[in-house]
Amino acid sequence: MTDQLGALTVIFTEFYYWVTVVLMFLIHVGFCMYEVGASRYKHHQHTLMKNTMVIPLVTVTWFFFGWWIYWAFPTGPGIAPSIMTESTALITDDSTFSAKWYLANSEFMAVNLGDHISGVFWAAFLLFSWTAASIVSGAIIERITTFAFGILAIAIGSFFWVIDAAWGWHFDGWMLKILGYHDAYASGVIHAIAGGFALGVLIVLGPRIGKFSSSGEPRNIGPRNPWLVTVGLFLIYTGFWGFYAACNIPIFDLGPEYGMEGVTYWTATNIYVTPTTLSGITYNFLMSLSGGLLAGYVVAKGDPFWTYSSGLAGIICASAGNDLYHPIQAMLIGAIGVVIAYKMHYWVERKFKIDDAVGAVAVHGYAGFAGLVICGFVLNGYPSSGYNVGAMWDGSTYASINPLGQFLGAIIMFGVLGMLPGYVLARILNAFGKLRIPRDVEIAGLDYEIMEDDRDAEKAVASSTR
Amino acid sequence: MATVTNWIDHLSAKEVVGAVYPGAGSSETLLVIIGVVFWIGWHVITNKSESEKLARLARKRHGANDHKSNITDW
Repeated sequence: MTDQLGALTVIFTEFYYWVTVVLMFLIHVGFCMYEVGASRYKHHQHTLMKNTMVIPLVTVTWFFFGWWIYWAFPTGPGIAPSIMTESTALITDDSTFSAKWYLANSEFMAVNLGDHISGVFWAAFLLFSWTAASIVSGAIIERITTFAFGILAIAIGSFFWVIDAAWGWHFDGWMLKILGYHDAYASGVIHAIAGGFALGVLIVLGPRIGKFSSSGEPRNIGPRNPWLVTVGLFLIYTGFWGFYAACNIPIFDLGPEYGMEGVTYWTATNIYVTPTTLSGITYNFLMSLSGGLLAGYVVAKGDPFWTYSSGLAGIICASAGNDLYHPIQAMLIGAIGVVIAYKMHYWVERKFKIDDAVGAVAVHGYAGFAGLVICGFVLNGYPSSGYNVGAMWDGSTYASINPLGQFLGAIIMFGVLGMLPGYVLARILNAFGKLRIPRDVEIAGLDYEIMEDDRDAEKAVASSTR
Repeated sequence: MATVTNWIDHLSAKEVVGAVYPGAGSSETLLVIIGVVFWIGWHVITNKSESEKLARLARKRHGANDHKSNITDW
């Protein structure tokens, strides 16, 4: 950096992403509090540590291979050519946005005076990865082994969600070109896939002991500490706000980027490098949150657990198009998503005996899926990218947003990259006897020995003070 | 091992080298290998200890309310 204005732009961008990363840390704090609040006393510490281990496990694997996948896989490979390399192969050449620079042994994956952006951008995506894994964590509490969860967390956090991000979120992703896929704040890219993955795991894992009566009627195992759940969800809202900012590029000149000669247009952009404003998405974040809360209060009859979760589901449902919606559209879409998620949760629970302990499949999976489909209708005809707009299935140009493309995208996110891998991996872990804890341990409580040791220690302390 | 020994020389060079960590340009692949071994090793160790713990606890066949006797009076 040799001129002050250029340096200011770069260092502002670096600081901007750094702030979003710190804000997004609150998502994980919130998830930890939420899960502990939802679990029973005898499983508290195990539940907390299971979700805490998402942080190191996803971080190191994200460093080793996750980030590389994002930059290598936009073409499929083999589905649509890159606008940079004009090839459908993995993007590993010497071009600016090649995965080559993000191999774990690259000099850009370290302190490098010539690169102010890679580390903070890597971290922003890493926090998205933690979220994907953490969504799965809540659904399966009180009966999964830490070993199995660790493998599943890495699979969703550092592999499967990254594939979908490369396909449907990267500016060069094949889903934008062929399907006209649009998902600005990740209704599908993070939420639908994680919800689908959780559902796939739950099918194999089975319900908690006592969740269903002998006649198959579901019983409510409500949150043991509703106030911890409440604070946890408020923190998730806060972190989610940071996530919205993290999905934008804060300052960018679109004129030269789009090849418009003599045009200079400085703006914030969304992840697809199309113009939006931080101001506009702030309207929509809060209005979709409000729509979700209002609808949740009605459908759940004022139940705090579902009302708070509905605020989250409202944002998730509107997120796909929240870069372009009118705030009232965002509010209504958020409300619709909540009704769908709530009704689907109880229908699936009764029909298929699925025990989703925190409603994660509903809040993230069903609301995310619905959000993608709704976006296809409301934003029908908008370009999915600022680059060359063309027809669906063309491959070399970018299709416009449309209902069919969004529906197929939702299937890919929820089913192909979410539910299917979750189910297969859970089957493999189950075949090795590594998925579920023994029945007697589930009954006794995963924290039994810790609590027993604490009791003995307490007795020893008490006797020494007499 | 030090990549930089004098900042004035480093920053006034015709082309400033960005990577300034110890062993830049020569140690990265080795570090990745060590890192991967550390990561896989964690899974191996914790899997073993968790399996032992679960088997030990399962053998005792505690009831659903036994844990309540472990709750200490604060």
